[in-house]
Amino acid sequence: MLITVKLFATFRENRFKEARREYPPGTTVADVATELEIDHGLIGMIFIHGRAAELDRVLDEGDVLALFPLLGGG
Amino acid sequence: MLSNVELQRYSRHILLRDVGGPGQHKLKAARVLCVGAGGLGSPVIEYLAAAGVGTLGLVDDDRVSLSNLQRQVIHTTANVGKLKVESAGERIAAINPHVNVELHPFRLDAGNIEDLVRAYDIVVDGTDNFPTRFIMADTAYACRKPLVTAGVLEFYGSLTTLMPYEADANGQPNPSWRCLMPKEPDTAALTCSEVGILGSVVGVLGTLAACEVLKVITGVGQPLIGRLLMVDIRDMGFDIVEYYRNPASPVFGQA
Repeated sequence: MLITVKLFATFRENRFKEARREYPPGTTVADVATELEIDHGLIGMIFIHGRAAELDRVLDEGDVLALFPLLGGG
Repeated sequence: MLSNVELQRYSRHILLRDVGGPGQHKLKAARVLCVGAGGLGSPVIEYLAAAGVGTLGLVDDDRVSLSNLQRQVIHTTANVGKLKVESAGERIAAINPHVNVELHPFRLDAGNIEDLVRAYDIVVDGTDNFPTRFIMADTAYACRKPLVTAGVLEFYGSLTTLMPYEADANGQPNPSWRCLMPKEPDTAALTCSEVGILGSVVGVLGTLAACEVLKVITGVGQPLIGRLLMVDIRDMGFDIVEYYRNPASPVFGQA
């Protein structure tokens, strides 16, 4: 299934801003992060079609997944 | 009423379409709570003071340190060791003596936040940690106060405006902080003291946060409601990501 993955801030470094990627059915958000070598502990926000989701969420064909690191400084 | 001196001071606002005299009166009547007088807080406080916001409440329990001065431009070398709210208060008085300053030299917690938030019209978040952001966002929601919230790290920043107690033009409730982050992170977030930050990044995000506050007070334009601005200073890019009310998200901290 085809998933659009959008990355922000540090997650873009040595990866990409946006890519359409093929994943097997049953793939979770955590699986995508692992495949992209993103430390799960660094993930601050997860959106699927602009709605917050958790790491264990199973993705569907055509989902737009956005991953943001924690930006906690002020 | 604006005095002759104030009319002169704010003439570029009064000339500005959509702001004008009525907008300037709204600014003078406004009470804004600035949580954090550090990196983000510096430009927020300076621009709101210069703009003529009538009352600025400053919350911070920290003191100015030498390592702050690379980015916290409201503070000076001479003020190292002084309470940040006192240092920032001196700067406000120097910028604009028409601004009433209320100093709150303590850390926000569940016991003191509600009375404080209720005493102001708008809250602007310049904190450096997520536990305070969650308390602040939940309380601002419960008290029906707009919250402008930003975060920064290294070369990056984020900004959004929350008014979850109102609905959009289609009658759909606006998203809350917990539609961005349903619960507090399990792991402690990296901080600027651990991984660093380019000094001017807080200037960009803090200035944009001040713009949002001024817009909300005056009613000019569209604030970043349901829109998350992601700023990438490293490659110089600005992205706006739309986000929506999530019915599954906990409200007021209850899952």
